[in-house]
Amino acid sequence: MQGDFYQLLKDQGYVLGMPGQAGVGQTLTTATTILAFKYRHGVLVAGDRRATAGNMVMYDRTDKVLEIDRHSVMAIAGVPATAYEMVRILEHSFKYYRRTQLQELSFEGKLRALSKLLKENVPAALAGTGAVVPIFAGYDAEQEAAKIYFYDILGAEFEGAEYAVSGSGSPTIRGILHYVNTWGEQPLSAMSEEQAAVQALRLLTCAAEFDSATGGVNREAGLYPVVKLITSDGVTAMSDPHLRSLFESNVSKGL
Amino acid sequence: MYEEPYRWVEAVGNRRQYLDAQFAQGSPVVGVACEQGILLMTMSKGTPKLYEIYDRLAFGGMGHPADLEKLRFTLLEMAHVEGFNRSASDVTGSRLVKYGIAPVVKQAFEEVFKAPFIVKIMLAELSQKVGKDGFLTITYDGVFEEKSRYAVLAASASVEQQMMEYLRPQSCVSLKDAVDLAIHTWAVGDRAQRHTDETGGDPKDARGSSDQPVTDSPTLMTHVRQCMQEKSIECALLDRHVPGTSKYRTLGAGELETLLPKDLSSALT
Repeated sequence: MQGDFYQLLKDQGYVLGMPGQAGVGQTLTTATTILAFKYRHGVLVAGDRRATAGNMVMYDRTDKVLEIDRHSVMAIAGVPATAYEMVRILEHSFKYYRRTQLQELSFEGKLRALSKLLKENVPAALAGTGAVVPIFAGYDAEQEAAKIYFYDILGAEFEGAEYAVSGSGSPTIRGILHYVNTWGEQPLSAMSEEQAAVQALRLLTCAAEFDSATGGVNREAGLYPVVKLITSDGVTAMSDPHLRSLFESNVSKGL
Repeated sequence: MYEEPYRWVEAVGNRRQYLDAQFAQGSPVVGVACEQGILLMTMSKGTPKLYEIYDRLAFGGMGHPADLEKLRFTLLEMAHVEGFNRSASDVTGSRLVKYGIAPVVKQAFEEVFKAPFIVKIMLAELSQKVGKDGFLTITYDGVFEEKSRYAVLAASASVEQQMMEYLRPQSCVSLKDAVDLAIHTWAVGDRAQRHTDETGGDPKDARGSSDQPVTDSPTLMTHVRQCMQEKSIECALLDRHVPGTSKYRTLGAGELETLLPKDLSSALT
């Protein structure tokens, strides 16, 4: 079938994940708390910025919420090397499809493309060298709705009706999301953009409180989580100054 | 029979004549750089002639649709594999043409037992800096040329020259200027092509008795309006101001209406 960029790569001898055994005593870099939920105008996707290898903090400026095209975002948890490679493949696949077939790949087609990559990556995931557990969120132009999907390492795809979380810090905030959404003043889906961003900052601060592999807000270094919004207009990233003012007025007072 | 060098040269010469005749009915393509980016313009019947190749590369073509499609796919494959394996900034028009399609096109042209590509192609490349935008054109025999500011494709070299002469003294700043200039240039080319066709294909006659192509705006616009009865104006823009990495977009009917010279925008609907 024409328009399949991944097939084109494979025809040229490309292999995505090399299955292998994680060496004893070798710790792999992993990346950590990501979340997505629906708010009034679309979907908010956020992630902390820490990458760790065992007890080591490898990097504190990781961007785990990656734009694949104007209307979709993949947030990554797991081994970043594999995750970044998957993002690159998807980015090129969607562009290649659009440019060869002269139409946009459908939202379902995009989801399927990610599933396929995860499935191909199963040997590496099981060997412990390349597990990736992403969240995929995007705007479905046909159905005129923003949607959230999450995956397991084998490539099974689940739709998150209201929210989805992934990464080592996610158990902490999953319960909070359920609580806020069910018994909070208003459900997540009724929140404005600013209310949603405040919620995301609070949730990531919580995750950082209990999970050493999640980096919270580091005000001295001016480090804030990555927060992206998906609406019918496409993907926009919230600027650091905006996040700082929201954090200072709504989050830090309790700390 | 082609083992004799003379016969081979003769065969290639015949092939050139045959190919030149194939473009006589084609629609010229005009590329103009302006402040906002690069505009590509043509008039087409049904099948589009302007396409997106990569983040900053656009394609315009004349010739057989199937041949154009084949080369378009070759370019798309090369560009995307290169963009993935290396980076988007390594995907340049000049590499795609010089090391990609030009050798293929030339080989097909000279292998006289096989079919040549009936194509003329223009690649427009949007630079990171204003004023550095460029074009590459390639013809059916694999000859390519690099141009800046503007480029044209037309049925014959003499028509292309007339179009370039018309373009040269013009200045073009805004997108509206670019659309205006492109349409006038297209009309200069299309009129010259038809004239050549009527006078039996002798390029020396292309300028007519006055030896000068008609360049006054009302005549050119009347010509475009007549063409609009069976063809439609196709415009694509490599837009510097589009957010994200992909800069290519087509100009829809609504936008064209605001950009076209007044007497044409009324003919759109």
